[in-house]
Amino acid sequence: MSWKNSYFRRFFADYGIVFVLLLLCAFFSMATLKEQHPAGAQGASALWGTLRQQHREAQDILIIANVGRDGQAFADTLSRAARNHAGITSQTLTGEPFFVRDALEDLAQSGRSPQAILATREAAQWPFLKNLAAELPSLDKVTLLSPQSYLWPDFLKRSNLMAIADRIVVIALIAIGMTMVIITGGIDLSVGSLIAFSAVLATVFIRDFAGAEDASGLGMTVACLAAIALAGCVGVFSGVMVTYFLIPPFIVTLAMMLVANGLAFIVAAGQSVYQVPDSLIWLGRGASLLGIPNTVVLMALLYTIAHIIMTRTTLGRYIYAVGGNQEAARLSGVPVKRILIFVYAACAALAGLGGVVQASQLKSGAPTYGVMYELYVIAAVVVGGTSLTGGQGKILATLVGAFIIAVIQNGMNLIGVESYTQKVVLGLVILAAVLLDMLKKRGLPLSRFARRTRARQDTAPDQ
Amino acid sequence: MAGLPQPLVTIVLTASMFLAVTGCAKDDSPVPGPAATATSTTKGVIGLSVLTLTNPFFKVIADTVKAEAAKQGYDVLITSGEFDPAKQQDQVQEFIVKKVSAIVLTPCDSKSISTAIKQANQAGIPVFTADIACLDPDVKVVSHIATDNYNGGCLVAQAMMEALGNQGKVAIIDLPEIESVILRTRGFRDELKQANSPIEVVGAWPGKGSKDESFKVAQEILQAHPDLNGIFAINDPTALGAYAAVEIAGKTKQIVIVGFDGQPEGKKAILEGKIYADPVQFPERIGQTTVQAILQYFNGEKVAPEILIPTALYYQKDAEKDPLFTDVAQP
Repeated sequence: MSWKNSYFRRFFADYGIVFVLLLLCAFFSMATLKEQHPAGAQGASALWGTLRQQHREAQDILIIANVGRDGQAFADTLSRAARNHAGITSQTLTGEPFFVRDALEDLAQSGRSPQAILATREAAQWPFLKNLAAELPSLDKVTLLSPQSYLWPDFLKRSNLMAIADRIVVIALIAIGMTMVIITGGIDLSVGSLIAFSAVLATVFIRDFAGAEDASGLGMTVACLAAIALAGCVGVFSGVMVTYFLIPPFIVTLAMMLVANGLAFIVAAGQSVYQVPDSLIWLGRGASLLGIPNTVVLMALLYTIAHIIMTRTTLGRYIYAVGGNQEAARLSGVPVKRILIFVYAACAALAGLGGVVQASQLKSGAPTYGVMYELYVIAAVVVGGTSLTGGQGKILATLVGAFIIAVIQNGMNLIGVESYTQKVVLGLVILAAVLLDMLKKRGLPLSRFARRTRARQDTAPDQ
Repeated sequence: MAGLPQPLVTIVLTASMFLAVTGCAKDDSPVPGPAATATSTTKGVIGLSVLTLTNPFFKVIADTVKAEAAKQGYDVLITSGEFDPAKQQDQVQEFIVKKVSAIVLTPCDSKSISTAIKQANQAGIPVFTADIACLDPDVKVVSHIATDNYNGGCLVAQAMMEALGNQGKVAIIDLPEIESVILRTRGFRDELKQANSPIEVVGAWPGKGSKDESFKVAQEILQAHPDLNGIFAINDPTALGAYAAVEIAGKTKQIVIVGFDGQPEGKKAILEGKIYADPVQFPERIGQTTVQAILQYFNGEKVAPEILIPTALYYQKDAEKDPLFTDVAQP
């Protein structure tokens, strides 16, 4: 029986964290199951089908849509379908409620009443359309049609999956560096401040040296790279303090956290820096590759590179070695000091990149960004199974850990959990995740009886 | 009888966590169910994200919006960015995912909020701002409902000139990321300039709008300017933090504090003479007017792009007559 036990044990040890993520997704999908109404072109096509099947007699139709991308697509699709169909005349009203209402009143007065109104779901909710018979009596014979509903969880909507990605990108990127630092047995508390530091520097460089709102793509890229490089320098400094002056990483990075925070406020003069071109949001909000958000591409790229480094290169093996036993590594010829400086520099540079992404998402840089982010990053790393004592950890597991945190925050928002309760839940989740990890590795805290029983079982012959 | 098998432990722990989360989920919105009944009971959901729920001013706005909207059949999801613009942007994105009927915001940062509002614009969801505006001209906000902050700042200057006999040195404890505060300080300075007042504004320091931060900043200001005569604190928590510092320094007779907001805590301090005066804000009116504007918008009426609610100075003599305090004295 023991082989079966150990098979399950290994399965959950290696893939347990992904299992937890999938369970969470399933849970939030069930909890956010709701009536959805197709929008845009899809909704329009469906509605056109309904019109032709159930209301064939309608020859004169009025198309009403609210403002926005989906509303426009809805109106365009329907008006095109009507134009291509001989025998049906149509009119389109796309706009804000007051515009539509005025036009409807004019229509009612002129006596030209359409036979059917095809409206988007949002427009159909406007009180004067919902109660059309009461509000505009001359239009009371008109049928109002809007897209039929279907069931689908809010959680699994494409817009939500993108919201989750947006939510996690900054933390996930920094978590790569933090994993490496924690594997070496250290910690980096300065990443939150470095986000603000780098966001402010990047936007200030764009504003003062690259031409502010008229900055070119090249100018913006150089500014961002400079900000990342400067953040990396802070990391090099931290690494040097840790390796040559033997100050504990906790203290060094705590000090650099305060220094970077102060510098961010000084450079930004306490304001948020917003004199940047609109195209800056390309990195944080654009989707150039087949509609996949750039942030997702960036995460995929960096995680792949990091995974390859940690599992297939000498550098990766050295990092694990330094974390496992620093002295033994040094005696085996591992360049310990250089490795340590590298991980702190990498972590800080990734924090710099996180700051640039944040500035891109918010189209501005402020010294108030990144507050408390170091804790979320560390949480992502430990939920992913990396031990704070060092020597072990997996990069891809950190990615799963980051997603678990993002999924929980996003899911709770969708369900409507109150802000303060969310914090309590998140804290407990992190605790539960680490507890699970401990149990995975060492088994339940055994009472004396169970310990004796287990000892007897281990020495007994297999049944 | 060995220890429990580990897969079972995983399942038990994760299951108990789910129960905890479900138990904590409040019924802010109708519990989504696989039936058509959910949609017929509510006209729609309004997403609200405030700057912080720890300042009673914003909590009153949020609660009023929720109550007023409920009267009209709308549900309100109350969230708070807690001073973090990135968090507020995530909240707006989630509102868009949920396809709320309207979004009401008090931005954490008047400039960074523009990207979130732009996303809402693209999704076709109308956006209203309450108390704090978005300073980006390129985004579309249906209406901005706020106190006339600029005028309030002018009133503060008048009160300060009155209290100090139109002379002396004044410091401002500020919150420069917030547009409503920018208007207040501008009103303050402009009024002093216009009245050709000899009062000197020695500087503005950021107090983060909170009591503890303003307390620390006020202590530093007092160190740097021992002959200070007055402090303009941009809201009640800031004023109370400044008062604590002034009290510790023993300078309560020397320094006059003028706040802003007129929240119950601030009014009590005015009654006790700790704060000289406040231009009072009416967060309930802001909440009510916001809901009115939303309803008007959906009803097809034109809504004014900016609705300003006037403010007035509240002195100690007003506090003495205020039923808020006189009721307490009744036997």
